[in-house]
Amino acid sequence: MTVGAEVYRALDESDDLSAGDIAYLSLARTRVVGEAPPGDVFDPVGRIPAYPRPALFPLPHAREIAVDTMFGLVVTHSCEIDRHKNRAASADHFDCRLTVAPIVPEPAVRLVGGDGDQAAAWAAIEANEPVAALFLPPVPDVSGLAPGVDPLPWPRSFADFRGLTTVSRRMVQADRLFGLAPEYLGMLQRQLARFFTWRDLARHELVAALVGRRIVDAIPLNAKGDRLRVALLADDASSVTVELRTR
Amino acid sequence: MTRLAAILSEQKMTYTAVASRAHLQARTVRQLATGETPIDNVAVGTVRRIAAALAIPVGVLMEPEVPYPGDTAMTRPARLSTAIREVMWSGVSVAYASPVETAEPDEISTASPDEFFADMPAVDDRRG
Repeated sequence: MTVGAEVYRALDESDDLSAGDIAYLSLARTRVVGEAPPGDVFDPVGRIPAYPRPALFPLPHAREIAVDTMFGLVVTHSCEIDRHKNRAASADHFDCRLTVAPIVPEPAVRLVGGDGDQAAAWAAIEANEPVAALFLPPVPDVSGLAPGVDPLPWPRSFADFRGLTTVSRRMVQADRLFGLAPEYLGMLQRQLARFFTWRDLARHELVAALVGRRIVDAIPLNAKGDRLRVALLADDASSVTVELRTR
Repeated sequence: MTRLAAILSEQKMTYTAVASRAHLQARTVRQLATGETPIDNVAVGTVRRIAAALAIPVGVLMEPEVPYPGDTAMTRPARLSTAIREVMWSGVSVAYASPVETAEPDEISTASPDEFFADMPAVDDRRG
């Protein structure tokens, strides 16, 4: 068995596009000229990194495009990618954009933030602890998964959900390397669910800050199924929104 | 980020300081560092002066030959092989915001995908 076979699977060029495909892509973001990521001052949890090596293309009105050429992981759900089949439409003309996350390799970056301990940061990423990352383990020889490609190692890396962007289907199709095995797609789905749904609720400090306060009002916001969202207003005018399950 | 920008960051040098040492305009150094002007497009003498100002070999400033995705001048396997070498194993390590949160990991982080989704009803059986 190829090392990494429990995480990766080989792809044929003719295979359908799928969640978990890894491809070589040009990823782009527009921004105000010279705009820097917000950094820790803005939001220590939700800080958004710039691409590691962006090339900059000027636009009118002090705007620019930052483009980085890197490997990316398709995170669009497979059933969404295949939706055109249910509509009897060409794959090229229906839902033609796929959401991808940039892949950040260990040899190309120095992780900053926290206490700066690289080994500890990578250990946490390897355990899929951060909500914004999916760990991608190393492969000693990619030619086992991508026939024809030189026998090169694939380094330890992670897909960074903070850098999600969209690319066309044809771009992904042209330069796919390999994909995630079905066994590991569940981990991709778990991490995406954590990233999109529970990111804010994980801010325990907001709830902890209410200790000792008196709740002066509870405002029902909305209900869906067995879930009820309520805004709790404290006597110091601070508030927190909680979600309750009614069963 | 260009190699020049990475080296300036490593050496904690400003555009102005390098430009002054190399007897160039700060704008020239900035355009090269941001990639606005590709380093291949300027006179060899300019690159030599910047390299001398930074006390590094000229070759270190040259950008690697990174193939474009879909570049038909190369076969797909050759393109991907070069991309793995130049992008995944880039010799220049740039600063990148860590995804690791400072808060203690939540209990979900240790749940397997099966445990994580076990309590979740199927939203739409028609979708996979």
